[in-house]
Amino acid sequence: MKNNEYDVIIVGGGITGAGTARDCAMRGLRVLLVERYDIATGATGRNHGLLHSGARYAVTDQESANECIRENMILRRIASHCVDETDGFFITLPEDDLNYQTKFFESCLSAGIHAEIMDPKEALRMEPSINPDIIGAVKVPDGSVDPFRLCAANMLDAKLHGAQVLLYSEVTGFIKDGDRIVGIKTFNHQTHKTGEYYANITVNAAGIWGHHIAELAGVNIDMVPAKGALLIFAHRVNGIVINRCRKPSNADILVPGDTVCIIGTTSTKIPFDKCDTVTVTPDEVNLLIEEGAKLAPALASTRILRAFAGVRPLVAADSNDSRNISRGIVCLDHEKREGLKGFISITGGKLTTYRLMAEMATDLVCEKLSVNKPCETANAPLPGSDGKSFREVAQKIWDNPTTGQKAAAGRLGTGVTNIPAASSLDQSLICECEQVSVGEINSAIERWDVNGLRDLRRRTRVGMGPCQGELCSCRAAGLLAKAHGCTDRARADLQRFMTERWKGMYPIGWGDALREAEYTQWIYKHVLGV
Amino acid sequence: MRFDTVIIGGGLAGLTAGISLQEAGRKVAIVSAGQNAMHFFSGNFEDAGPVRDRVAALFAAAGVRTNATDGLQLMAMGKFKNVSLTLEDVTVFPDEHIAEKVLLVNFAGYHDFFGTFIAETLENLGISCRIRFVRLAEMESLRTSPSEMRSVNIARMMDEYWEKVVTDIRVLHKDEDLILLPQVFGLKDAAVLDKIRKALPARVAFVGTMPPSVPGIRTQMLLKHRFEVLGGTFLMGDEVTSAALHEGIISSITTRNLDTVRLFADHFIIATGGFFSKGLVSTPTQVYEPLIGLDMDYSEDRNAWYNEEFFESQPYMNFGVKTDAELHPFKDGEPIRNMYAIGSILGNTRKEDFGTAAGLAIRTAFAAADAIKGGNV
Repeated sequence: MKNNEYDVIIVGGGITGAGTARDCAMRGLRVLLVERYDIATGATGRNHGLLHSGARYAVTDQESANECIRENMILRRIASHCVDETDGFFITLPEDDLNYQTKFFESCLSAGIHAEIMDPKEALRMEPSINPDIIGAVKVPDGSVDPFRLCAANMLDAKLHGAQVLLYSEVTGFIKDGDRIVGIKTFNHQTHKTGEYYANITVNAAGIWGHHIAELAGVNIDMVPAKGALLIFAHRVNGIVINRCRKPSNADILVPGDTVCIIGTTSTKIPFDKCDTVTVTPDEVNLLIEEGAKLAPALASTRILRAFAGVRPLVAADSNDSRNISRGIVCLDHEKREGLKGFISITGGKLTTYRLMAEMATDLVCEKLSVNKPCETANAPLPGSDGKSFREVAQKIWDNPTTGQKAAAGRLGTGVTNIPAASSLDQSLICECEQVSVGEINSAIERWDVNGLRDLRRRTRVGMGPCQGELCSCRAAGLLAKAHGCTDRARADLQRFMTERWKGMYPIGWGDALREAEYTQWIYKHVLGV
Repeated sequence: MRFDTVIIGGGLAGLTAGISLQEAGRKVAIVSAGQNAMHFFSGNFEDAGPVRDRVAALFAAAGVRTNATDGLQLMAMGKFKNVSLTLEDVTVFPDEHIAEKVLLVNFAGYHDFFGTFIAETLENLGISCRIRFVRLAEMESLRTSPSEMRSVNIARMMDEYWEKVVTDIRVLHKDEDLILLPQVFGLKDAAVLDKIRKALPARVAFVGTMPPSVPGIRTQMLLKHRFEVLGGTFLMGDEVTSAALHEGIISSITTRNLDTVRLFADHFIIATGGFFSKGLVSTPTQVYEPLIGLDMDYSEDRNAWYNEEFFESQPYMNFGVKTDAELHPFKDGEPIRNMYAIGSILGNTRKEDFGTAAGLAIRTAFAAADAIKGGNV
């Protein structure tokens, strides 16, 4: 066996790929995961971070709704450090049809979702940010999930079970033997080297980019890229998820996450060649604020941190409306479909159902490899969620944890024990907004394949707070320069990082956001001389 | 209360105008909301060339020493920048070959001084650079709160303990001909800078850190002190609440702290700064000047406010209040004949006449003060 041969290659470092790599590795397969850029750079890191109860799909798609509620309950167990059990409300506004609430409620129950019709006054007491004009409210077990953390934990566990992970490695072509895919060709964006890797099965888990991967393999998946735009607000306006109780539409979900909340989304078909460069337009920003303020009026006057957009990997049906396309899981066996052996695509689905998607894909891989080992991912906790709650862990290591230590424990769960915190030097803060310490950053650089500031942000939240990296990014760049022994690279990386932060800031560049931008741009130009 | 001139805004522009007028024997009040752009000043008076000697003299009288020399400033992230007038904290080098061997000294755990970046720049120029850290027992109290290792907090300690740092550096020093230190010295008293230079066995240069800017804060304090010594009235932590404007002349203003007591003056200067200082305010649909509602020079199309590239010049930075040749701002299309708009509130609208940044602040301050002294209302 050569060192470039595996049982299974997984293409895509989003949550689906990471989950599939974990599942495959836990079933004893030799796994290679390749990702074009970094973990969670596609739709995984560009959504609400909503842990669906399934209620949103209850009326239109009972199967998806039921998948969601089952996976929701599983993730609360296996990924407790990534999940915030907030619950959710589906509210009816005066302009909405209250009859829909009845239908919605019954559909939830039949999908197995524990829904509860509330007195609007009681709902307002529980979640004071809700529009006080509501005429109806249903409580459901929605939650909030940190997709970066979830993806990183799956990736880490896959590696702990022996999987290899190649980041910044793009698949440029497939190696075929007759009617069988036997390997991939790659190009590494950092080393600029090409590579060849072999496996009996290749799993295409590349999200919307899976369309292109399938084309490279010589088959076609009819996908529809649907852009969704979202806004991040600088405060956690609501503690409970707020949804609109009507047919799914624009900007009708407000999800609290960590210190912020996120409103979204829109749904617009875009061409494939725009998937890498989606931006948010002023019209979309206006629409999101206007509709969002109907859910929670405070949003109209709350500072916006940034705007961002993701592309959903929907699989086409006969409809032109991207909202009516199934959001269900699509697992394609290209051997049965097109006669192409050794190639599987797993797509569609949702963040909430990633584990089920991974299980379905892994079941198919195992069937083809005649491996007879059952899936254990629904019961085995992820690193960080193993053992006791992070609060108990935190208490064990610290007599009197600081805000920063509590924040780190919140991010890493039980994994917080791996952070060096022995000296006051380790504890000094790099990112004041998100309370990220020197120790946590150095530990991420060491353990979690951090190549630059953007990678660091996805693993530690550095630069995600109100200042959007204005101060912490330079400090973190200093640590990276030290760790990688190259300041030119760190300086270029800093420039890319600030450019990326700005792309999410200028669409909402007014008021305090513009003040912050003016200050930041001044510092970089005149003080730091970058 | 009656003054010759009331200045709204106590930053570099407002103070320069205020001192210039007080020196000419005018009675001036400055209304200042508090912090200003001096708190993140790089020490380089960019674009101040045409008034270099005049500003150097004005500052010298205030106890602010400057380098009126053309040369290079070593920036915080290791790049060089052309300068012609700087605060004395900034060492001006004739060229990039700043030394043969450099000892760069930082405080352990201080991440706002970018030694690694500076060292690599120097190494690329063939200058060897050794980075060493000092760790004072006295500074451990700063570390009990992890966010306290910031420039001004360290500078407050250094006012007391700079000699201990010097002792440590003397031990670290070998044969280097230049010692680089962060700009965290002499917050209270700039004389410390000279004392450090004298006490060390090699040339010493101070390099910028992340804001707050210690040289900037000290300069602001000295200028404010100078203004008050000259007899000026500095209303700290106050904000203008209304202005009485009639037929193109402002007769008085009110402030939050003075309540019903009106400030009357022959002349008014508005120096409230740009967006960050809230001299300009933006909403999704407009940019406005919040105190008087002065006419603006800006684009109404929000799409035209930004350049997608963060490091390119941004169109919104060009926005500012509209002024005539004498810096009189407009209200509803009519100039306010006894008011002058100076500093960042102008954005880049008067860049061709007055430059940008610190140069803009100083040059428009002189222009307004001169016009007032000339008596042409």
